[in-house]
Formats: sequence, C-alpha cells, structure tokens
Amino acid sequence: MCNITKEQVFDAIRNVIDPEVGFNLVELGLIYDAIIDEECNVKVVMTLSTRGCPLHQMLTQWVKDAVEMRVPGVKNVEVEVVWEPEWNISMADENVRKALGAL
Amino acid sequence: MFSISKEYAPPFGMIAPFFVIGTIFFFVGAVLLLFLDPLKGHFDPRIAGWVHWYLLGFVMMVIFGAMAQLIPVVVEVGHHSVDLYYVIWPLLTVGTLAMVFGFWFVPAVLPYGGLLVLVAMLIYLYDTLMTLKKAENLTLTVKTAVAANLFLTAGIVVGFVMSLAIGAGVHVDVAWWLGAHAVLVLGGYVVLTIIGISLILLPMFGLAHGFDDTPVRRAFDLMLGGVIVHLFSSLIGFSAGRFLAMLVMLAAIGLYLWQIRLIYEKRARKENDIWFRSLAFGYGSLLLAAILAVVSLFGEWENVILASAWFLIMGFVTFLITGHLYKIIPFLVWFERYSPLVGKQKVPMLHEMYPKKMADWEFAMSAAGVTVAGVGILLGWNDLYYGGVALLIVGAGFMLASVKWMLSFGKGENTEKGNEHV
Repeated sequence: MCNITKEQVFDAIRNVIDPEVGFNLVELGLIYDAIIDEECNVKVVMTLSTRGCPLHQMLTQWVKDAVEMRVPGVKNVEVEVVWEPEWNISMADENVRKALGAL
Repeated sequence: MFSISKEYAPPFGMIAPFFVIGTIFFFVGAVLLLFLDPLKGHFDPRIAGWVHWYLLGFVMMVIFGAMAQLIPVVVEVGHHSVDLYYVIWPLLTVGTLAMVFGFWFVPAVLPYGGLLVLVAMLIYLYDTLMTLKKAENLTLTVKTAVAANLFLTAGIVVGFVMSLAIGAGVHVDVAWWLGAHAVLVLGGYVVLTIIGISLILLPMFGLAHGFDDTPVRRAFDLMLGGVIVHLFSSLIGFSAGRFLAMLVMLAAIGLYLWQIRLIYEKRARKENDIWFRSLAFGYGSLLLAAILAVVSLFGEWENVILASAWFLIMGFVTFLITGHLYKIIPFLVWFERYSPLVGKQKVPMLHEMYPKKMADWEFAMSAAGVTVAGVGILLGWNDLYYGGVALLIVGAGFMLASVKWMLSFGKGENTEKGNEHV
C-alpha cells in the first residue's frame, strides 16, 4: 500500500517554473494527471504549450527530478508527454490568464 | 539535484559567434548605407556588394545560428554532425568579406569569395538535410525547411556561376540570372524559412492555439510553385513565366499575412514587448513591400522596385531577426549559465535577461530609420534616405550594445552572485 497522494506530486511539480512565462507548470495547466501505483511508482502525464518547444527535454527532466526529490517514499518516476487534449490557455489558472492578459 | 539533458542543444560557444558576428555585420552594414546612392539602381556594383554584406553577413549568419538550435528541437532529433558549425561561421565571414571586396574594388576576387561562401553553405546544407532526414513527423515546418534548403542550394550555385561571370569572364547573362538568384535565395530560402519557423515560434511565444492553418499551407504550396516556375522560366528564357511566378509568390505572401492575422487573433499572451513590436513592424513592412512589388510589375519604376526590396529586407527580414534575437540569445545564455542551477537556487526569468530600455531605443530608432529612408528611396529624395539611414545607424548601435549586454548576462558570476539578478 502506498501513501503518496496526487496532491503531493502536484505540489512537488509546483517548484518547476517555465522560464519563458514565469509560472509553474501546475498553474499553467500543463500537468494532466499523476498516476500512483501500489508500489509508489509515479507516472506524471503532462503536455507542453507548444510542440517543438526548445525546453521540452528540460521541463520533463525537471518534473521527474522534482517528484523524485520532493516526494518522500517515491520509487520510480516516469513522465509521459501527451498532445491530446491539446493545451490551451483556458486550462491555466485564473491568475495566469489574468497576468498574461487573456482575461 | 536537478539534471539536464543537452542531447539536442549545440554548445553555447559554437552558436554565440553567429549572433555576435551577425550583429556586427548589421551595425557596419547600416553605416555602409551612407556610401550608397539609391538613385543608381539595383544593378550598381556598390549596391550589389552591400546586399551581399547584409544578407550573407547578417541575415544568413543569424539564421544559420538560430537553425543550429531550432532544427533539432523542431524535428526532435539531434544534429547529424553538429561540429560542422565550428567551420561554417569562419568560412561564411571570410567569404562574405572577399565577395564584397570583389564587388567594390577587384572583381577578380569575387569568385574566390563566392567559393568560400558556397563551401560554407554546402556544409550547412549537408548537416541540415541529413538532420531533417531523421525526422519521423513530416510537419509543415519540416517540409518548408527541406524545400528552403534545396532552393538555397540552387540559389548559391546560380550565384557562384554569376560570380564567375563577373570576376572570371564566364559567359553568362548576369542581368537575366540576377532575378533567379534573388528569387531562389530571398523567396525560396529566407521567406520560406521564416514562414516555416514562424509557424512554430509565433504560437509558442504568443501562446496561440486553435487557429486554422489552411492559409499557411496554401502559402507554402504557392511559394514552392512560384519559385520553381520562376527557376524553370529562367532556364528556358520565358519572361511571361517569370511574371506569372512573381504573381503566385505575391499571392503566397498575402496568404501568409492572413495566417499571421489568424494567429494574432488567437494569442493568449497580450503583452506588447519588444518581440511583439518588432514583429508587428516587420509584418507591416512585408505588406508594404508586397504592395510595392505588385505596383512594380506593371511599370519600369526603379525606385518602386528598390523601395519594395528595402521594406522586404530592412523592414520585414531585419525586424523579424532582431525581434527574435531578444528571445533566442537570453534563452541560450540561460541554458548555458542558469539551467544547471535550477532546483539549487532561484534563477532569472528570460524576460529579465534583455535590456528593456536599450531595446526600446533600438526599436524606435530602427523603425523610424527604415520608414524615413524607405520613403526617401520611393520618392527619389536622397536627403531623406540619408536622414533615415542616420537613425538606423543609431538603432543598429543599440542592437549591438543589447547583444553584448545579453551575452554578458551572468558571465563570470559564481552561484551566489547569480542570485543578485533575481
């Protein structure tokens, strides 16, 4: 039985900031899900704001590192980048949309 | 500790010279405009020399540097042989200088400069095409990159043959082939490359999604067809075919501008930063250049042709490049100096890594200079042209200083000092 919660995983990823826009990946709405199995292996399902983003490799690596570093008891961390559903600004938190002028 | 994958990213020291040298060519190129007389027309060797100084030394140099970084991330594979970039910029620099010397002073030097440029570009093309060959997902950007690079190959071969005609007496109708050379390099490579890359960069920086991309797909088809028809018409000496090809390429530019409007309407990021303003001025210039090009098709107005070329090169191409330098250079510097610190200390955001006031001055002076000088060329009023060039020189000086500022950001600082920026 594993006691890690999705909230713990999401909170860890809140420390990963996109240096282009200055917001963390969770409030940008880029993290779709965190699947935790009984052995405390974590699979983060995320997307990126654009295909062909130069930060692609770095962001996924930082997400993996953040979960491994900040979530106690975690075993293996896998990060899957998906393109469906396609990200759009409505997925971001209200403070992000407001700051970017999208509201 | 956070780790980082650098599989796709070429080393900073390999790419930085492209931007430094390119910006120096930009600044000196602006100064050299003072020694040109637009009333002499586009066949004047001094103007031809300056065009090569600017397009090879600034435009191509910066595009090659940007492509070194962008192509691997766009096609999601590593470079075929990234170390080749270490020889591209020295060859391109020396070749450009020799070509300009040939145009201005000793025509016999022209083929030697042309040969060095040819070799530099063939090396670039080899790595680029071999890298693109590994792409699994044939997106429109990949297709435009392939087409653009094939056109560049044809364009530089035509250019090299022309340099042999001017410098070594090879019998070729230079005036006739000048059109094909310009269409292949400017339309086939520079514009097509910008079309393909902007489809990635504009939505990425503007956070635009859910727009219809049909116009840019049709624009790609038309530009491809237009350049090919122009090339074959040139080969068989068919003037009407070249005229038709020009109309098709202008239609492609119209569709591309329509696409930009669709992306603009869907952008979520509304801030009017230096990147946005530079692009707005660039696309406005492209619209004006296209209108002037249409007018020039129906008469023998040399000043209209020159003004169209001015707004295309100095307004559109230049501002798209300078605008993106404020995005690309901070990213490269951040990647080199700060990405290893992520997770260990607070790192600066990219928008903090360019000098905002200097950039504002660069934009204001350059935009005013291009506009005033362009109107001067159109009206055949040289005093106005030289006044505009003076403003442009100041703008280019600010650009040069901005690039130095951006490349120096965080240089030589240790971890503790790095924190002072944030």
